[in-house]
Amino acid sequence: MAFLEVRKITRRFPGVTALKDVNMTVDLGRIHTIAGENGAGKSTLVKILFGELRPTEGDIFINGADALKDPTLFNYISYVPQEIRLFQNMTVAENVFIPFRKSGISRFLIDHSRLNAAAQEFVDQLGINVQPSRLVRSISIADQQLVQIARALSNRRCKALILDEPTTSLTSREIDRLFKVIRQLKSESRAIIFISHKMSELFALGDDVTVLRNGALIGHRPLQGLSERDLIRMMTGEEVKIDQIFLPETPATRPILEVEGLSGRGFSDVSFTLRQGEILGFAGLVGAGRSELMQTIFGYLKSTRGRISVNGRFWELGDPTYSTDNGLFYLSEERRRHGLLPLLSVRDNIGISLFDQTARAGVISATKENKVVNDTIEKFEIKTPSMHRLISFLSGGNQQKVIIGRALACHPKILIFDEPTKGIDVKTRIEIHKIMKNLAEGGVGIILVSSDLSELRRCASRIITMCGGRITGEFTTVDTDARTLVEAIFGSRGDRDVD
Amino acid sequence: MSTRERTEMSPRERTELSPKERTELSVKSIFARVATYPLSGVIAALALIFVCSAFASPYFLTPFNMTIVARDLAFVGLITLGQSMLMVLGELDLSLGTIGGLSGVIGGILMVENGVEAWLAFGICLLFGALCGLANGLLVTTLRLHSLVLTIGMAGVYRGANLVITKGVAITGIPSTISVLGQGTVFNNIPMPFLIMVPLLVLISFCMMKTPFGRYMYAIGNNSPAARMLGVKVDRVRVAVFTFAGLLASLAGMLMVARLGTAQPAIGDSWVLPPIAAAVIGGVATTGGMGGPVGAILGAAIIGIIENIIVLFGISPYWQSVVSGVVVVLAISFDSVSRRAFVTEE
Repeated sequence: MAFLEVRKITRRFPGVTALKDVNMTVDLGRIHTIAGENGAGKSTLVKILFGELRPTEGDIFINGADALKDPTLFNYISYVPQEIRLFQNMTVAENVFIPFRKSGISRFLIDHSRLNAAAQEFVDQLGINVQPSRLVRSISIADQQLVQIARALSNRRCKALILDEPTTSLTSREIDRLFKVIRQLKSESRAIIFISHKMSELFALGDDVTVLRNGALIGHRPLQGLSERDLIRMMTGEEVKIDQIFLPETPATRPILEVEGLSGRGFSDVSFTLRQGEILGFAGLVGAGRSELMQTIFGYLKSTRGRISVNGRFWELGDPTYSTDNGLFYLSEERRRHGLLPLLSVRDNIGISLFDQTARAGVISATKENKVVNDTIEKFEIKTPSMHRLISFLSGGNQQKVIIGRALACHPKILIFDEPTKGIDVKTRIEIHKIMKNLAEGGVGIILVSSDLSELRRCASRIITMCGGRITGEFTTVDTDARTLVEAIFGSRGDRDVD
Repeated sequence: MSTRERTEMSPRERTELSPKERTELSVKSIFARVATYPLSGVIAALALIFVCSAFASPYFLTPFNMTIVARDLAFVGLITLGQSMLMVLGELDLSLGTIGGLSGVIGGILMVENGVEAWLAFGICLLFGALCGLANGLLVTTLRLHSLVLTIGMAGVYRGANLVITKGVAITGIPSTISVLGQGTVFNNIPMPFLIMVPLLVLISFCMMKTPFGRYMYAIGNNSPAARMLGVKVDRVRVAVFTFAGLLASLAGMLMVARLGTAQPAIGDSWVLPPIAAAVIGGVATTGGMGGPVGAILGAAIIGIIENIIVLFGISPYWQSVVSGVVVVLAISFDSVSRRAFVTEE
């Protein structure tokens, strides 16, 4: 008998059916993966699996008992969210064991030495290299991600662990460490439900895969014997070539952006040149200073030294309004924090950047605005029932398209993409790569910051590597093999982790 | 007010419907539309309270009483307008009432003791209120202070300055030239302050919905780092709104001086919490990015009518604040519950 079984699950939201008649079984001692494009219903299914959402129709059985009648059964299932949801001003140990009563630590008074000792066990098991008494806000994002897993495991009744894209902010070394932990949990005959957009991770780790598309179940089968191509076809419903090259075919022309000796928080003495019509890649580990550098060029963060010029002319640093007014745009890696206006509609989210096109004499014309917004929605195939839908209700991929579409509607001259395909499905990823290529061929200078080397090698004609806040190399993609790049990414310190 | 808001909103709503959908518009979907329309709750509550009051007291609907209600609403309303704009930005200004009070007594001194021409003094005081708001805004933005904490401090400063100037004694003998602004009525007993407040409400809601500046306010209230990334001059917008709220506060203060004929040091003492409660009742989120001035004024009207009916019933003044407090809590809970029932989170 399967440990966890869902039968004919349907979940409707106003105007949308997120899941329709989905069946799935999960056995102990196996790693189940869930694959699908953005908006396929993965998040909804997962939320139903651990009891956060109730299905509109259907049944859930845990250990053979009806979990919708007895919600305490959901205690067997622990969920690790993709984003960090920890108490930043509490210690690692407190975060692992809160709520204390449930974890058997203490009912009234907390013995901190006992708490820390108990937490040490989980910290060691997961290879988190921090003291349990440290405050969570003082440790790295990667360690915070692992603390979230420790917290899930501290639930002693936990038989099944759901990991929702746990690797997005981890370096390859940390991913290896995490995979080791996951395999060990599997050998302790627990069930793992693992969600990722990265094919390599699904195949490296998974035993079975459940594929969803547009809220419907496409298949549930063992990964062994399945090829990457088959899986992508199941996810997208069509043939998608994932190893296409998106290098701009027109030659790069004159320099458009010149950075000279720029220093700021997290990086120092950076110089490079971006040419018109090229895609320039920036490779490096999480924490290498790439995002800080780009945000400083954009004017969002303050620079301490150095200068930049655009088209050979003086450029004002430290003022994002100056940058956007003059055609330099930055699309942040942190969509939620730096991109979305969550309580506003798709229209308001796109329209906010376009008032110089839609307003006359200081008054916004609704007709003009609706037209520009509609054009953007159509051009980028943003899936939304109406432009008046709240942006928060859109899937991650569509939110990203809104953000990209909004910037493109402003006709940028220089565009900085910071991890544009993080958490984005295969098909949308290719669409984004195509957009970048077309823009470059149209004469826009593009900087692509990515932790995905294969993405950089397929899109960027030149790649600059950064390590510890400094540039460690500049390579022409066609003449460089992956190993050289990896060495440059890890810097002169060999393969030591610089995160 | 409600009809004006609806006609302004209607083009937006109309675009949502395709011709086919329009024909399919059933009673049920009209109901759903009304239920999800952001101001439905507060309009329904206001209508209910209005009707109940009309039945409960024969004096409620008399022109005399309606004039009182409208005039009182105008003073609190002006503060509510400023406060709700700040709340959309995700800010609060607890010193607005004291700015109104301080402006009032400064105006009184200029007119009575220094013999400044009444209209000129009126203008100087508006400028002074704007400067107080500007000071609040600049302190919040340049020192990165939390506006709630800062304006608690500034409220102490303005209130203290008021007492230093007046020593707690009212300034009498305000020239009658400006008393028309506070005491006068036009048409069928419509009080002047109300006639000043309503156009301002229309103007402000128009700006907040139809101009880039207004939409930037919502963007900032939603997510101010993102607004900065989009190139919005976040701090400039913040300072401008603080300044404008200060100006509205001093306008309320001066109108009150004109109405009373004396500059009382206590003007503005009751203008701190009701405007915030009114805005919340009217659907303005305390966390910012949601709601608007129309809802806030409707909220203020609810509070105003309740206070009025308490007076009409002759309930002990000691109970008044208990009753109006309970009503505020009920209104907010009702709103929160109804919102949860109709908006499903995804």
